[in-house]
Amino acid sequence: MTDIICPLCGKLNPPDLDECIYCQAPLKTGGFVAPSEDEDKISPILTSSEKPGEAENLVPEPKASSDLEQNIPDWLKQTEANFLDQSEAKPKETSPDELSEQIDSILTPSSAPPNPQDNAIDEEWLASLLDEAGVGMPEPPSLQEETPDETQEASLEEQEPEIYQEGSEAEVEGAAEEELALPTQPSEKPEWLKNLEASSKIKLEGELFGSEPVQYEAVVNETPEEKAQEQPPLPEWIAKPGSVEPPPSPEEPETPIAPAEIPNWLEALRPTDAVSPTGPVEDLSGADIVTAGPLAGLRGVISAHPSAIRAQKPPTYSIKLRVSDEQQARLEMMEELLADEEKPMPLPSQPIITTRNIFRLIVAVVLLLPMAWMIISGGKRTSAPQPGNIPGVVDFTQRIQLLPSGVPVLIAFDYEAGFSGELNIAITNVLTQLMNKSIYLTLVATTPSGPALAESMIKNASLSMARTPGFYSNYANLGYIPGGTMGLLGLATSPRNLLPYSLQIESVWAEAPLNAIGSIKDFSAVILITNDPDTARIWIEQIGPQLQEAGTPLLIVTSSQAEPLIRPYYESTPAQVQGMIAGLVGGVAYGRTVGNIQQNGIWDAFSVGITVSVLIILIGSIANVVVKSLPASKKKEN
Amino acid sequence: MKKILPITNAIIAVISGSFILLGYFFPGVFGGIQSTLIGWAIILAAFALLLGIFNLAIVHWKKIGSEKSSNINSIVLLTSMFITIVIVGISGPTGSWSLWVFNSFQVPVEVSLLAVLAVVLVYAGARLLTRRPKWYTILFLVTVLLVLLGSVPLFLIGEITPLSIVRDWLAQVPAIAGARGLLLGVALGTVATGLRILIGVDRPYGG
Repeated sequence: MTDIICPLCGKLNPPDLDECIYCQAPLKTGGFVAPSEDEDKISPILTSSEKPGEAENLVPEPKASSDLEQNIPDWLKQTEANFLDQSEAKPKETSPDELSEQIDSILTPSSAPPNPQDNAIDEEWLASLLDEAGVGMPEPPSLQEETPDETQEASLEEQEPEIYQEGSEAEVEGAAEEELALPTQPSEKPEWLKNLEASSKIKLEGELFGSEPVQYEAVVNETPEEKAQEQPPLPEWIAKPGSVEPPPSPEEPETPIAPAEIPNWLEALRPTDAVSPTGPVEDLSGADIVTAGPLAGLRGVISAHPSAIRAQKPPTYSIKLRVSDEQQARLEMMEELLADEEKPMPLPSQPIITTRNIFRLIVAVVLLLPMAWMIISGGKRTSAPQPGNIPGVVDFTQRIQLLPSGVPVLIAFDYEAGFSGELNIAITNVLTQLMNKSIYLTLVATTPSGPALAESMIKNASLSMARTPGFYSNYANLGYIPGGTMGLLGLATSPRNLLPYSLQIESVWAEAPLNAIGSIKDFSAVILITNDPDTARIWIEQIGPQLQEAGTPLLIVTSSQAEPLIRPYYESTPAQVQGMIAGLVGGVAYGRTVGNIQQNGIWDAFSVGITVSVLIILIGSIANVVVKSLPASKKKEN
Repeated sequence: MKKILPITNAIIAVISGSFILLGYFFPGVFGGIQSTLIGWAIILAAFALLLGIFNLAIVHWKKIGSEKSSNINSIVLLTSMFITIVIVGISGPTGSWSLWVFNSFQVPVEVSLLAVLAVVLVYAGARLLTRRPKWYTILFLVTVLLVLLGSVPLFLIGEITPLSIVRDWLAQVPAIAGARGLLLGVALGTVATGLRILIGVDRPYGG
């Protein structure tokens, strides 16, 4: 018996009827003939355990003489013929979907189960179940590996409505709820899946119940192109899954289906033109043919294959901003503002002639003019200091006078050139005394400018010598001692190793009188000239112990600012410093002891400068106090 | 290597410091080693001075290359350095040309700076009471005046003996007391730092 499927409601009708007993739609024009009973057998592909590759080769040829093919409209046959011609003419090309599948297979780690085909069947089948239940399913890694057997894949896709027809909706929903508990190993089936599989009439590995309709077997064996051509496009409201009732199972007793009654309003709304296979057909000759997916081969339809998974290069967009003239002007203004921030702001210009500047000028003039006048005039109005009143001067003089003629004396020039005005008188007098006694001068320095200062002072002092003025060669300038404290310690322990040559590159230690010098204590005296109390302290600490051990005197010529700190070393018992000349006062006093009273007005200038300084400070302070006590200044402060 | 190098530095520093220290206590035994180590340190210090001069020249040379700031000072410095090196190299460190450069430029510049300092100090002393006077401001000003008046015989007045006595007392008692206190603190800090370096706790050389 060959039933006719109603093109409108999809239900089976007896072949002798002209209209559908359910919806009264005409069956002769648009209905499909249902498969006969002898064809209602299990497909050997699905029932046998053949491999998918073998099943792929067993695609049955459509029966040309069947009633089903006879009912295919002409336009569909023409479309099928065109497609077959094109597909035969075209060489098999690798579609983008296949490329994406290959890329996915490469990128996917090879964690496939031992039987990937079975696993794919399980996962696809399960995914279809969950999709029908309306629940998404996360794709396990194994699902991304598509099996090469497209025939089996198509058969699994065709099982979707069958599963739905089996009426296991409740179980599918239960499975959808348990989807989160799916095991990550696809080779092991969970308990719920086994139960679901047991309750379902679909068996995996191609097994189907014998009661399955033959029409599905034929569809499974067909290629997607053939399937798409054989089925006429149905309206969406007809092809709605919810409106399709599952066919009666052969196991269940066939119950007569009561004819449905279509209400009048639905009959009036029914688009009879849409279901008519002979209606006007849209010209799809210019449309593209779907090359992949379940709709492969159809022209003018939207591909069911998701295009989102295709590996496509993202489109490039231009990053060039479209800036208007106004925006450009504001941008330039912003850049100018930022550039101005980096520029140093010039200090506000102040007028040159201010009360403060005038006061500074008055102070300088009042201070310098009397001093200059005293130096120019060479006046001696101020009494010179008495050597006995200046501590250290007498002892210093005695130590110099006690030195034998021609003995070596070490002189350290460790003062800055700025203190030359204060120290030069004392240094010149000391050097003159030493030169008059033909003392062998050994010059060293712990400051970089010391050797030049020493050489310059030797030349100046030689001019005032009693004998052969202007020339004195009984000295050795050993130069600069680097290292500060370490240098002095090295000088104390081994001066020969530290300074083996003079500045004239002469080996002075091999000649007399330095050939008798082994250490610093072998000198007859050590004279330190410094303006820094710390330098004096270092000399006293590093050199002093060895000198005291040998009884060698340490004499210091220093400035007035260092004198208070050095003086305790001189006044201590036993004295660590045996003589001291401090500042201009000490130099003038020492000059008086040695008979050199030439001052060239320096002493008077010094006295005038101190007196004027005291007067300026006193007058300025009193004036400030008076000005501040005036009522006007108090109001200004308030 | 990152662990070995600091340990090696620490060992070298501790051993060197210990030999130098022992050289003071036992000069007969450790005097030779002490002298040798000090000689090495002096050579390193001299080389550091040369490096400093070279670095100064490099910095100002780069400053001239940059177009940002005015580089006239750098040009003057490098020119002066080059001329001085040439003159001293030709004439020698104590030659007549070298002494002429020294006495004509360096000595007057340094003396002038001190002379300007004297004028500025006098001006600052005169304006010390411009603001609201405090007791310590007045004390400072009185001390300055006493020391100045007691240092030298005043012009047309002569020496004021009481002021000289006061000046000596101020210089030798309060001033020295403060200075000695500072020196004692510095000495104690130096001893503590030296001990920390000797036992390797403080490593200023890195590590």
